[in-house]
Amino acid sequence: MPNVQSFSALRARSYVIRLPLFTRVIIVVMVAFWLAGLQSVWDLQQWGALIPEELGIRTMYRINTFPLIHLNFFHAFLNILALTPLLERFETEFGTLTSLALFFGPLTTIPAFIYVFLERMVLRGNTPVMGASIWVFLLLGMEAIRTYKMNPHLVIGTHHVPTWITPLVMVLVVEALMPSSSLIGHLCGVGTGYLFGLGYLKFTAPPEKALRWIEGRLNLLGRLPHYVSVDQKTYGRFGVLPTSTSNSGTTPLESSTKAPSTNTRRAMPRLLSTALLLRRDPRLLKLPPYLSLLCIIVGVVWLFMLPLDNYSRRTYISENALLPGQVHTYFGGSDQNVFRAYRHEVDALKDKSNSEINDELENIFKGVGLKVGRQNYTYHSAGNTYAGENVYAILQAPRGDATEALVLVAAWKNVKDEFNRNGLALALALIRYFKRWSLWSKDIILVVPPDSTTGTQAWADAYHDAHDSSQVASLPIKSGALQGAIAIDYPQEGRFESVHIVYDGVNGQLPNLDLINAVANIASGQMGMGTSLQEMWRHSDKYNDRLKTMLRGMLNQGLGYAVGPHSSFIPYHVDAITIQPVGQGWHDEMGLGRLVEGTFRSLNNLLEHLHQSFFFYLLMHKDRFVSIGTYLPSAMLIAANFTIMAIFLWIKSGRRVAAIVPADGAKESQEKQQDEPAAAQAPTTAVERDMFLPLALVVGSQFLGAVPLFIFNHTPSNLLGPAFATFSILNLLLPHLVSASGLLATFTPQQYDLARSFSLLLLGMFLSTLATLNFSLAFLVGLLASPLTFARPWPGNPLARYAYEALLALVAPPTTAVLAAVAAGTGSSGLEGLGGLEGLGGLGDALKQAAFAWDVWGVYTPVIVWGVWWPAWLVGAVVVLGRPREGKEKMS
Amino acid sequence: MLLLTIQSFFSSLIPIFLFLFCHVRGVSASDYFEQLNLKPLPHLSLLASFDFRSNTTFSQFEAQSYRYFPRSLGQILQHVGTKELHLRFSLGRWDAESWGARPWDGTREGGTGVELWAWLEADTDEEADHKWLTLTNALSGLFCASLNFIDQTRTIRPAMSFRPEGDHPNSTLENTHLLHGVLPHEVVCTENLTPFLKLLPCKGKSGISSLLDGHKLFDASWQSMAIDIRPVCPPSGGECVLEIEQTIDMVLDIERSKRPRGNPIPRPPPGHDLKCNTSKPYHSGDTCFPADLLDSQDWTLDQVFGKTMKGTCPLTDPNVPPVCIQAPERRDVYTTGGVTEYKDPSGLSRCYQIPPDSEFSLVLPRMPREGENAKTDADEMVVPETPLLYAERSFTGHGQERGGVQSILTNPSPDTEVEFIYMESLPWFMRIYLHTLKTRIEGISGNNEDVIEEIYYRPALDRARGTQLELRMRIPPASTVFLTYDFEKTILRYTEYPPDANRGFDVAASVITILPSSDPNAPPARQKTSNLRTTSLLLSLPTPDFSMPYNVIIFTSTAIALAFGGLYNILVRRFVAADEGPEVDVTGIKGKIIHGVMGLLKKIKGAKGKLE
Repeated sequence: MPNVQSFSALRARSYVIRLPLFTRVIIVVMVAFWLAGLQSVWDLQQWGALIPEELGIRTMYRINTFPLIHLNFFHAFLNILALTPLLERFETEFGTLTSLALFFGPLTTIPAFIYVFLERMVLRGNTPVMGASIWVFLLLGMEAIRTYKMNPHLVIGTHHVPTWITPLVMVLVVEALMPSSSLIGHLCGVGTGYLFGLGYLKFTAPPEKALRWIEGRLNLLGRLPHYVSVDQKTYGRFGVLPTSTSNSGTTPLESSTKAPSTNTRRAMPRLLSTALLLRRDPRLLKLPPYLSLLCIIVGVVWLFMLPLDNYSRRTYISENALLPGQVHTYFGGSDQNVFRAYRHEVDALKDKSNSEINDELENIFKGVGLKVGRQNYTYHSAGNTYAGENVYAILQAPRGDATEALVLVAAWKNVKDEFNRNGLALALALIRYFKRWSLWSKDIILVVPPDSTTGTQAWADAYHDAHDSSQVASLPIKSGALQGAIAIDYPQEGRFESVHIVYDGVNGQLPNLDLINAVANIASGQMGMGTSLQEMWRHSDKYNDRLKTMLRGMLNQGLGYAVGPHSSFIPYHVDAITIQPVGQGWHDEMGLGRLVEGTFRSLNNLLEHLHQSFFFYLLMHKDRFVSIGTYLPSAMLIAANFTIMAIFLWIKSGRRVAAIVPADGAKESQEKQQDEPAAAQAPTTAVERDMFLPLALVVGSQFLGAVPLFIFNHTPSNLLGPAFATFSILNLLLPHLVSASGLLATFTPQQYDLARSFSLLLLGMFLSTLATLNFSLAFLVGLLASPLTFARPWPGNPLARYAYEALLALVAPPTTAVLAAVAAGTGSSGLEGLGGLEGLGGLGDALKQAAFAWDVWGVYTPVIVWGVWWPAWLVGAVVVLGRPREGKEKMS
Repeated sequence: MLLLTIQSFFSSLIPIFLFLFCHVRGVSASDYFEQLNLKPLPHLSLLASFDFRSNTTFSQFEAQSYRYFPRSLGQILQHVGTKELHLRFSLGRWDAESWGARPWDGTREGGTGVELWAWLEADTDEEADHKWLTLTNALSGLFCASLNFIDQTRTIRPAMSFRPEGDHPNSTLENTHLLHGVLPHEVVCTENLTPFLKLLPCKGKSGISSLLDGHKLFDASWQSMAIDIRPVCPPSGGECVLEIEQTIDMVLDIERSKRPRGNPIPRPPPGHDLKCNTSKPYHSGDTCFPADLLDSQDWTLDQVFGKTMKGTCPLTDPNVPPVCIQAPERRDVYTTGGVTEYKDPSGLSRCYQIPPDSEFSLVLPRMPREGENAKTDADEMVVPETPLLYAERSFTGHGQERGGVQSILTNPSPDTEVEFIYMESLPWFMRIYLHTLKTRIEGISGNNEDVIEEIYYRPALDRARGTQLELRMRIPPASTVFLTYDFEKTILRYTEYPPDANRGFDVAASVITILPSSDPNAPPARQKTSNLRTTSLLLSLPTPDFSMPYNVIIFTSTAIALAFGGLYNILVRRFVAADEGPEVDVTGIKGKIIHGVMGLLKKIKGAKGKLE
């Protein structure tokens, strides 16, 4: 029997080819029954399963049909896999006719009757059974008895374990690991197997004379292929007798130590030769492109399966200390009078300058008895200057010791540049209210930045001493480690209906899921407010809405920009969210205040930093999510497609093109030669790889990526639009220029393969690494770059060449940006043409935003686009236009 | 209305201008005295300092004859040969910016948590360590605190920072060892107060100690309980005494303390009770700009402490007035009847002598802030003294690998430099790089002279001892020094993490000892040694996810052990037919059974034969 070490594809193939007749028939019948069971008109399983209560004279056929019918694909597949070698062994030993007689006679009926008897008389149950596993265990039982005769004990330490119990252990394992497997059914099978193995059932086998007679009369041996004759039956495996049967005197331990050494000695050359054979198998080399395509398709389908109930999970609070919604909230009553007064104060400051506003806020803070600090900052990006001054106040925990702190952010303006009038007034009223409590275990810091994009970034950077002191001033007073941050974004007037939780951080980092869950829990459970995510104001919790929420989340995550004032905290491992009231409903500011109060009380309970729940997840509804273990394979498969292709191209480039042997003619000779050493079979086909030029091309294009990266992050904002247009056109012409310039005129097909291989290898490597950091970005880039997998020179077909080049031009990074801008414009305005134009106008803004994100937030998306995606695209586009020189490679 | 009642009630109030020396240092006539000092602070706060002092002569102490000195503590001290002992329980932080200089010049307070230092008599270091272990364990039981967790890694031997306070003969000082330990994570609570009160002669039943209540004490914004035991010799000669001084200092938030015990929740007051700034143009019935912090203090002693004072302790020195309040003369203060008031000639404080058996309370009514007799803050409270030094310490940097510490030390004095010793006792898993120790000076003087004069550094040994760093520094007037150093975070062993590992690890406060000025003309505040402590820090170390590897390992090992073992065995076994294999003698179960039955039959036959 082949063991694991000496497994080879050729042997496996010949094994399959030589499967005897009865085994084949049984497999075919099982597959046929499984296929027949797919339709829904006729319940095959009900017809054929062994149901104890149903068994009568007219339904006796069930006793023979039940092993052939399976529950589902996996059931059938696993059983066939397990049964085939065992049945094959049985058949080659006993002959086809005997097998037929036994397996449609006693070996099926005896266990079936025992089972029915036990189930009906003893257990008084009616559990239907089906599947070939009963045969598997029957045959295992026989084999075990045979092993037992030769090798009665398995010595483990000082214990002698009889070998015949192995099938029983297997039964238990299968019972434990496989759901809904029938223990009694399997035991019946094993029991019958034991009886047969011990020879008590030999009498049921048809007499040999009769079999010979039938065989002779019908000339079965001549008519049926793969028929095993009664005389032909063999003992042992493949007719090979044991090499050393004289190990009866040695102990099992000795024999087992001896065996592997001889085995490996024999196996090694064989293994090497089969590996060489495998590498040269032309069919194997046809496989990878299909495998790559399969990876892409499975990856995308996987993503679209996630919103289904079976693949996503309900959210839950993992950190028990949070106890969301377990406390009474008291913010209200006369605090509303204070809130109104603060709103008047804020209104009065509306048109004042930043420092005047901060002066006034400082007075209010000091009036409440807080420690106040101010911080200046100036950022430069794309020729613009963003300057401002943060003011913040620390409410020192009455009995605390400045070791931990929570942050409440109320920016003067939100990300849409709206005046956060109610939010700021509410934050002021809240901090005054918080001052009255003595239960705070952590300091509470109220930060009022002048805007939501730069201010919090400067503050969070300076708090963690990660700031550039030439641009951002240090903080005059500090508190302890930040444990959480909540931003209030409440520019709308009047009452609201639900709260919108914004949670995406810079570079697609996310806050701990517990924080979002806690807020959603308090909002819905205690306050009776709805919660929405990703601007999905109406959510039906059906597939479509879930998918939409998830895709919006992925887009935000992929772009990696800051979506709210909270975003800047997340890179410092401070879990943060923004709460926005939305819609028209009956909740007033005080309700939002109580929500924030409840959240702060929950966070105040935390003894440890939030760590229990997930940091990597995709939310698709306020109480549904997928965790990283479920969604990661999607992006990983897409990244793997590039790697598979790269390895394939590397192997391919090491072979002579002409060495691909015609498949038809060689078949017979191959079969004859399969046992001979591989080296003798085929002439050597290895060629030397000419790596310098492809490597130079790939490395050159990687370095070239620095050019657009530099241009788009250092051009003044008014020149960004023209610069982008110029670059886009140049970018589309660049592959043509390169191929026309004759730089690549000397490239052979092998060199093209190598260039593709290197480029795809880098792409696959980068993307699979990125998938663990920013899943969405890796997925989006991987998907858009997937045509590069199949980009190859089309030497003889100009039509295909230019068609593919056009496809690649469509998924080039700049073109994608333009298309996305047009789509966004269309989506927002609703008018087709006009929206598209607006979108193009918005592209300039988007570029300015991108430069800003790079300079201020440290968003690394441009590096991925220009340093990972674009170089790979460039190599792909050049390769498609390539006309390889037909030359002879050097023989190795 | 309230005012009228009080006045009619306390009509017997007689102002007596009598100077009394309150600060009785050294040996007093009596062996026990107690005093409560109240000091209103800005922002509606009130500092209450309780001081209890008792002593015993050495001859009595040696003879184990205890009167006021607590026996439980005395026996421990004798057993381990403690010459001087200081124990601190602290919570919260002192807001030096608003409250000014610390009470007792900071010498009666510790860092957050529990702090202990003592001079032990021992010939060798090992003996001292052994005695220290005994001492911490004994005190741990006595004070219900985890003092027994002060092990070798948390113990240091300060070289410059602490000086003995008592009068020790030079001969004993030579072979005494100073050991110092801190537990920054220890939460001080009621279970520490109860044993503390039990050490007092009046045990919290009468006198000022009857005001002490766990609910109020531990709701304070800052509180420190201290026990100091030291030998004191009278300067005039005579027998030396062993003195135990117990102090409790707390800063009460008046608003919070005044809330009744049955209803401590700060519900919003009814709209008409809100104190509003009526000058605002939008002021109306439903809009109110709050003005409560600007309001004057208005409290009574039984309100803020939750109970009245039950007379005086009968054991106390009758010459020392038990209650004093530091407030300007212009501040109205009323008391219950039968109380004698002594005013300090400086006009900044007054003391009250209380009849032994009557209940005592103190009333500070609201002072009008508007109108004809408008009063200001200066009329209401003594302006807090500016402290000699401000200190603030925080972590810099982020991430799991490295970090930094920044201490900001500010000398607020416009003309006097300050010299002090800065001491850090850091855990071993915070590996500091001494070469990164840097100072940056900002201020008017701006001279670049090195502010660090002397460094004493004892590096950490993994799992054996912590880092000890002592720096003698001098800061010029009106300047700020930024002291920074970097450190590396260690990955601990799996079992070394505490149960709530993701909280982080507390790093003890650094201790600053301001040295007395050498200039004889310096003001009295600078003539003494004073102390200062920063807040403690929370250090987050890289923490493994404890549950996940555990689950994964268990699950996969089980699956592999069960499934893979059996399958692999069947896959790799070479099967041979029975007739080709070696003969097995007893063929299977059948043979065994037959063999067994035959044996049994033989036995029965044999037995029968014997019978016959």
